[in-house]
Amino acid sequence: MKYADSFKEMEDKGFDIGQAVAEANRCLLCYDPPCSKGCPAETDPGTFIRKLRLRNVTGAIRTVKTNNILGGACGVLCPTPLLCEKECSATEIDRPIQIGRIQRFLIEHSWELGFQPLERAGEKKKEKVAVVGSGPAGLSCAAELAKDGYQVTIFEAKPKPGGVLRYGVPSYRFSEEFLDREIEDVKSLGVEIQCNHPISGREGAEKLLKEGYSAIFVAPGLWEPMRLKREGKELKGLFTATDFLASLREGKHDELGKEIDGRAVAVIGGGSVAIDCVEAAKRLGASDVYLVYRRSFAQMPAEERERIEALQTGIHFLLLNQPVDYVESDGSLKGLKLVRTKLGEEDASGRRRPVEIPGSEWVLDVGVVIEAIGSKPASDSKEWYPSVKTNEKGLIVADEETRKTNVDGIFAGGDIVRGPALVVEAVQDGKLAARAIKEYLSK
Amino acid sequence: MSGKVDLSVDFCGVKFINPFMLSSSPVSNSAEMVARAFEAGWGGVAYKTIVTDRIPIIHPSPRMHGYHYGDKRLVGLQNVEQTSDRGLKANLLDIMYLKKHYPKHVVMASIMGFSNQEWYDLAKAVTDAGADMIELNFSCPHMTVEGSGAKVGQVQELVQKFTETARKASNLPLVAKMTPNITDMNEPAMYAKMGGADGISAINTVRGISEIGLDDWVPRPNVYGKGAISGYSGPAVKPIGLRFIAEMALNEELGLPLSGIGGIETWIDALEYFLVGATTIQVTTGIIHYGYRIVEDMIEGLSDYMVSRGISRVEELVGKALPHLVETDEFDLESQGITNYDLDRCVGCGQCYIVCNDSAGQALEWDEENRRPRLIEDKCLSCMVCSFVCPVEGLITYKPMPKGWKRQETVTLGKELESQLKL
Repeated sequence: MKYADSFKEMEDKGFDIGQAVAEANRCLLCYDPPCSKGCPAETDPGTFIRKLRLRNVTGAIRTVKTNNILGGACGVLCPTPLLCEKECSATEIDRPIQIGRIQRFLIEHSWELGFQPLERAGEKKKEKVAVVGSGPAGLSCAAELAKDGYQVTIFEAKPKPGGVLRYGVPSYRFSEEFLDREIEDVKSLGVEIQCNHPISGREGAEKLLKEGYSAIFVAPGLWEPMRLKREGKELKGLFTATDFLASLREGKHDELGKEIDGRAVAVIGGGSVAIDCVEAAKRLGASDVYLVYRRSFAQMPAEERERIEALQTGIHFLLLNQPVDYVESDGSLKGLKLVRTKLGEEDASGRRRPVEIPGSEWVLDVGVVIEAIGSKPASDSKEWYPSVKTNEKGLIVADEETRKTNVDGIFAGGDIVRGPALVVEAVQDGKLAARAIKEYLSK
Repeated sequence: MSGKVDLSVDFCGVKFINPFMLSSSPVSNSAEMVARAFEAGWGGVAYKTIVTDRIPIIHPSPRMHGYHYGDKRLVGLQNVEQTSDRGLKANLLDIMYLKKHYPKHVVMASIMGFSNQEWYDLAKAVTDAGADMIELNFSCPHMTVEGSGAKVGQVQELVQKFTETARKASNLPLVAKMTPNITDMNEPAMYAKMGGADGISAINTVRGISEIGLDDWVPRPNVYGKGAISGYSGPAVKPIGLRFIAEMALNEELGLPLSGIGGIETWIDALEYFLVGATTIQVTTGIIHYGYRIVEDMIEGLSDYMVSRGISRVEELVGKALPHLVETDEFDLESQGITNYDLDRCVGCGQCYIVCNDSAGQALEWDEENRRPRLIEDKCLSCMVCSFVCPVEGLITYKPMPKGWKRQETVTLGKELESQLKL
């Protein structure tokens, strides 16, 4: 049980009501609040903070929950310094209001009060809608539709709902209990979630339209990891971030602990998933944890505060190094082959590109490597929505405003459309799609 | 620096090493407490009101309630505390102890009789115990003993009568402590003077209801299911205290030294009381909030202020605001001004725009793109509400306009709305 212990509870304890009100009291109550414009899901912090400030706590909860059915998850997981808090006027006086923590508090407080601001629709509509995937986009879309009385069924391939919120984030960042409560809020609106129910096979998604569903929202996420080596080697000690994080969520702490405890671990990648992996590896007892990234610190996609926290917990940042291959012996991983890089011109992403330095190859002695270099649509996905238009990356093409695909009645959102994106962006996709679906069904 | 100034004052003929006193309250309940306050720097004490042992004093429980504003604790304090419950002998021994060990500090014994004879007996007893002066408590607003406290202070004849009685019993200076729960404090103050009072202290607490329980609908403090209109004090009542002191200081016929009480926490609060005419000041709620230690900051702050202003004695400050205090009909209405915005420092919150629109002259336009207000000068009413909500200190200031400058005429309905009326 020792490994599991350090994955039990959420590290950040959140605010109590005194702290939340004190923080709300720092708010400048802006006219036309810039923070509200900074939220991709229109959660409207300007309004819910004002309500909290004026002691209208239930009203504040209502605002969050009405605008963002996953307001709690977003409060915990959003990179707020890049979103609402970036726009905060108080920054110019001292520091931004901690909007994410206030938002999280309001949701936790609603559970404490037993206050459910959203009501189940009085009258059920006859139309049924199918949602593929119970990640943030799917849950958001389903909740929006259920509020208006549509009969919504979510089909989830995995044993439990939540998608990336459950299988892609370590529990010390976002706990099982928190997630379950927030999903319960969605279910209480009448949404049905069928787990262990993958949509697959020939035209699987499109068949739903013929089976009595009037519209479909496709939001399965991206679950196939990109690999360092095209052939995808099978080596003892080599993991993908997707499998590694999912295994933790499936409770395989001891199994992973056995492989990692006491060994040197390298994580490849510079995004927040890589950060999650280095921290989890540390908790599993790794002797040394290297974060290997081909560009430099400033170019890392992970949030600044995450990066700094990782540095402070003793992670070795191995920057300007491009992994090229593995060293193996008898089917076990023995090391990571690296080439040193320097930064060149800016690339399409606006970041300076890594340029390999010839002749600088070297080997990092590690027993475990976790690849956290991105993910892509499942290889069989095209099979179950063959008529839906996709782009060169295999992502579904959907209208930005309505999330409509080229197929009548099929809508899509979340990572399957955007590529790797934020939870709050997925929530917004769900909302946009739900609006368009309602319009589509009322015709 | 602070060595150059002399904080000592003469109040009703009694010499104080500084004008800062504990008021008669829980903070001056025993010799042990008062001794610690003297050690901390307080110059004197209005010792917790002493009564005879005839009617036992039992405090309601709980006896106080804190009133908070947002995250600001204790902007007000509500209490139903009574006079001392310690027994006459214990209190008299405490006074003797204090005078023996702190001869340079002033002990003003507060007393309250529940009959004419009791006023006599108590005045005599505290005089014999060695008190320097006597404060007559005509002002406790929530006595559980019928016909006492503020009930006396609201009947001028009784104020005069009981003051006369105390006068007969003692030669010590008598200070009558007044209730603010009346219209004009000068009336009872004059009766106290006629009865032989040497000074006036004010204000006692203001009768109020600070909060009501939302679950039980019981006003606070909730004394086993019941609340009472009772004494409210703290920073929120300072403006009321300053007003009563100023009105008595302006009354030449009264002409008595004044001790200011009400919402004092800092040297600035104390100074304001001096400027409207008080010679000493008394503190309770500030001590309940922060402890006796606040006197250190009052002494240091006032001393440095006096040095910076070239003032050597506190008495030079007493009443200095009074020549500037007039009735509103004496204002110069020809002189007008507007607000001035230092937009380089603006953070773009737009609160000024909201309040000007909703509570003032609609004199601001909002530049949505740059998030900045734009002032239409001749619509500005100079009410200054925008400056009260602005989070940047000193960004919005008052600017006097040249003589003859006029703002736009009063707002009218306008042609479009007027046309909708069928006259």
